[in-house]
Amino acid sequence: MAKPQDTNGRPESARGVTHDLASRIASAKRDRDIEDNRASRQASPEMSGMARGMRIGTEFIAAILVGAIFGYLIDLGLGTSPWGLLIMLLVGFAAGILNVTRVVAQMNAASPAPSGSDSGPDVTDDTDK
Amino acid sequence: MAGTDPIHQFVIYDIAKLFTIGGDGTEGSGMTFAFTNSALFMVVSVVVTTAFLLLAGRNQKLVPDRLQLAGELSYSFIANMLRSSAGTEGMKFFPFVFSMFAFVLVGNMLGMFPYFFTYTSHIIVTFGLAMTVILVVTIYGFAKHGLKFFKLFAPSGVPAYVLPIVIPIEIVSFLSRPISLSVRLFGNVLAGHITLKVFTGFVVSLGALGALGWLGALLPMIMAVAITALEVLVSAVQAYVFAVLTSMYLNDAVHPSH
Repeated sequence: MAKPQDTNGRPESARGVTHDLASRIASAKRDRDIEDNRASRQASPEMSGMARGMRIGTEFIAAILVGAIFGYLIDLGLGTSPWGLLIMLLVGFAAGILNVTRVVAQMNAASPAPSGSDSGPDVTDDTDK
Repeated sequence: MAGTDPIHQFVIYDIAKLFTIGGDGTEGSGMTFAFTNSALFMVVSVVVTTAFLLLAGRNQKLVPDRLQLAGELSYSFIANMLRSSAGTEGMKFFPFVFSMFAFVLVGNMLGMFPYFFTYTSHIIVTFGLAMTVILVVTIYGFAKHGLKFFKLFAPSGVPAYVLPIVIPIEIVSFLSRPISLSVRLFGNVLAGHITLKVFTGFVVSLGALGALGWLGALLPMIMAVAITALEVLVSAVQAYVFAVLTSMYLNDAVHPSH
């Protein structure tokens, strides 16, 4: 890597100096982008398995809890015990599944499967040549 | 063993009593408002964040020094994240999202110092933050789109006869957001701090057993070092996740039809 002030072959005019600096900044940026991309593929914040698991788990449980509480409140208000709780618990379960599928779809979109991986028996992919 | 009690670190105590609302004047009646250790660390967190950003922007140069670069990176990190999930219209929420991110991140990081209090380990704090996010989303959504905001609960392309099932599910899914947002942050921080305290507690109790104990204490010691590193990572990741989800929910307020 070039030192910040290298005096070898320094252009004479001020315009030349700026141009030289601009090209050096551009090449350094390119190098860093390549490096960054490699680093983020290996360990992006969302890739942390623990964070992923917590995310999916809480999305699922929170929906069930909200559904159950909602149903319980309906029962309290309307005196329909236990039907509100039962039905809203099931609705909460469905909402939990919906949350999980959304999160997983979004995670898959964020990190697509690497090229050359087998997507399953009924899917045409790179391994079915 | 008071020294190794893993829950003791979460105790909230009053530093200065401010005022009391209601009650009959006797001790313990009414609602007493006090400046607690939790509030102290919230103030510290706000002061640290503000001081960092003010110092970073103090003398702006075309070629930034280290501090200015750190400030600019934190800006562009949140700005890029918000722009990619909520679009250019979402950028008007940048101050909000950045404040949330900074408050959670600095709170988590302050909690990593020994003897410091972690305010994100209390569910009422994280729930308050999550409710703020959801209220901003809901109020802005209704102010901007009016009744069209209800389209959020009826995804386009769904046939009319399934709507009676889909709408309650979508409503519960929407209501579950503040719960999952707050429980995730609170759970991660609480579990991490308890684990850390339990492992370091093992070191102390085993170390009291003499030479063999010292050998045995080496194992939880190594674990404690590793978990400390993990907890620093978790602190950063959870602040990031909180900010990402905030901007995704804001996206619903800006563009309500999926």
